[in-house]
Amino acid sequence: MSIEIRNISKRFGNFVALDNLSLDIPTGELVALLGPSGCGKTTLLRIIAGMESPDGGNVLFGGEEATHVHARERQVGFVFQHYALFRHMSVFENVAFGLRVRPRKARPSEAEIRERVMNLLKLVQLDWLANRYPSQLSGGQRQRIALARALAVEPKVLLLDEPFGALDTKVRKELRRWLRRLHDEMHISSVFVTHDQEEALEVADRVVVMNRGRIEQIGSPDEVYSSPASPFVYQFLGNVNVFHNRMHGGWAEVEREGDAPGAGSIAFVRPHDIDLDAAPISGGMKAVVSHVHRIGPLVRVELEHEAETIEVELTRERAANLELSAGRTVWFKPRQAKVFAVGAAPAPAPKQPFLF
Amino acid sequence: MTTRRATAEPRWVRLLLTAVALGFLFLFLVLPLIAVFWEAFAQGAQVYWDALQEGEARSAMLLTLMIAALVLPFNIAFGVAAAWAIAKFEFRGKSLLTTLIDLPFAVSPVVAGLIFIILFGAQGYLGPWLAAHDIKIIFALPGMILATLFVTFPFVARELIPLMQAQGRDEEEAAVSLGASGWQMFWRVTLPNIKWGLMYGVILANARAMGEFGAVSVVSGHIRGETNTLPLHVEILYNEYNQIGAFAAATVLAFLGLVTLVAKTIVEWRMRKETEMLTAELPPEKTELPPSVATERP
Repeated sequence: MSIEIRNISKRFGNFVALDNLSLDIPTGELVALLGPSGCGKTTLLRIIAGMESPDGGNVLFGGEEATHVHARERQVGFVFQHYALFRHMSVFENVAFGLRVRPRKARPSEAEIRERVMNLLKLVQLDWLANRYPSQLSGGQRQRIALARALAVEPKVLLLDEPFGALDTKVRKELRRWLRRLHDEMHISSVFVTHDQEEALEVADRVVVMNRGRIEQIGSPDEVYSSPASPFVYQFLGNVNVFHNRMHGGWAEVEREGDAPGAGSIAFVRPHDIDLDAAPISGGMKAVVSHVHRIGPLVRVELEHEAETIEVELTRERAANLELSAGRTVWFKPRQAKVFAVGAAPAPAPKQPFLF
Repeated sequence: MTTRRATAEPRWVRLLLTAVALGFLFLFLVLPLIAVFWEAFAQGAQVYWDALQEGEARSAMLLTLMIAALVLPFNIAFGVAAAWAIAKFEFRGKSLLTTLIDLPFAVSPVVAGLIFIILFGAQGYLGPWLAAHDIKIIFALPGMILATLFVTFPFVARELIPLMQAQGRDEEEAAVSLGASGWQMFWRVTLPNIKWGLMYGVILANARAMGEFGAVSVVSGHIRGETNTLPLHVEILYNEYNQIGAFAAATVLAFLGLVTLVAKTIVEWRMRKETEMLTAELPPEKTELPPSVATERP
């Protein structure tokens, strides 16, 4: 079922959580709401679920007005960051809950409930845990049970609020691949909230990048990464070097023709879009290596260039060939850069830790 | 240098502190308790038994139990409602409500009793109207119930508020998103989660309801066989130099106290077990091994 969000706004006291936001989510898509904490992504998800009511605007499910439909009638499956399993019920009863609370007429028979619950538990590969209690499960198992519970009511829309946020890296990776598979099998629309760029880029069909209650960009994972629409998106997705309007050796003149005279601009360059050489290269700039970090398959080099720090990423091989070490003089040259006018640049986003 | 943990006190300090605490407990709790039983049985078990069988003593016991039984349901209903409102919602006047809940702890029970006299007594604001309609509140059971309610109502709410705040709203929200009605959510999710805390609050409220003296004394009128609760009965007998009777009745109260302590300990133990279950270290995520590999392990 498609979801349309039209001009939604929401405030908490003086804090604007959502600022006149509109978004279409077509049927069958897996959409990620990505943004830093406090950008309004969870509020948006809760408004779609009916757990929060917007101050203004409309939510439409399958083209029908649903803004004031009660959460229990929305047929929405909701998965919480901290699982929210019913702690005093067994795994089986947790999954059966949505079927048992149905009005008598719509309630399946005990045998049917049993069959459906066991099928769901098989789907999440945890049927052997049916009689356990949530406290006896690991985090990854709990979240899979929470998913099975949400799917038991056959929701038309699945909403997940930082579903893997409380799990460790290895389990998180496994679960998100598994979520992708599940989504494809169930043929429903799914929306999940995350602050983890890698998670959004890997799992989603479309990524909605949010900042300060607004949408910065909507696009496929590839689009938002390779052609960011705003400086915020550029900085939020992956590491980036920022060059302000200054001359950098023979290379950079970042003021564009169309810009008003005097208006500065900023150039963004990804660390892996910079060439590095031990000998002078044409159009390259001179710099001194200050640090060399070997991180898994990559080597991250910090360069000192005119009192500015520049990050460059190389393969291990390349770094070995160059015999990089702190104090060496090298030449670098950006392969590609993206330029924004200064006025378009918001306050720089907090730097994200590099994930691989 | 001796190997001592940096934070540990010297041995003699620990022993001294333990001795002081235990000595204090013995002097002020155990000794009086023994004295009560000693005095009650001073003239043998038969006299003790007769004193308890006596009509007024029996009616005092019955009245005490009846008041407790009538007050507790109100306490439960009010306590759960107040804790629910405070723990799960944001609203204006929330801190005022939280403060008001503690009022009975802050106000002397005698003052509480007097408030009801001023309200419902013959010379009180509502007195004439009540008299005209032949409704008796002061010097009758309703007044005693009101006074007991006043002094006991914080117990359940105070026990539940921190518990419900710690549990958060996630589970309730999950229940609603799965299609549960408000009523189903309460009975199937909220109540089972708070049951031990609720029980704990009820036990404390019950102990207070049965032992309350001040507020009830003011509104009861001390009509023997009619509006005398067990604590009031003890006082009357003692003032009449009926040592055996007074101490016999006191043993019943002391016994109720001991039962309360045992019940409280059991509930505390259950609660601790549940919190341990909730905060237990998670086992590592089980990687799915094929059965053959799994069974090879010793």
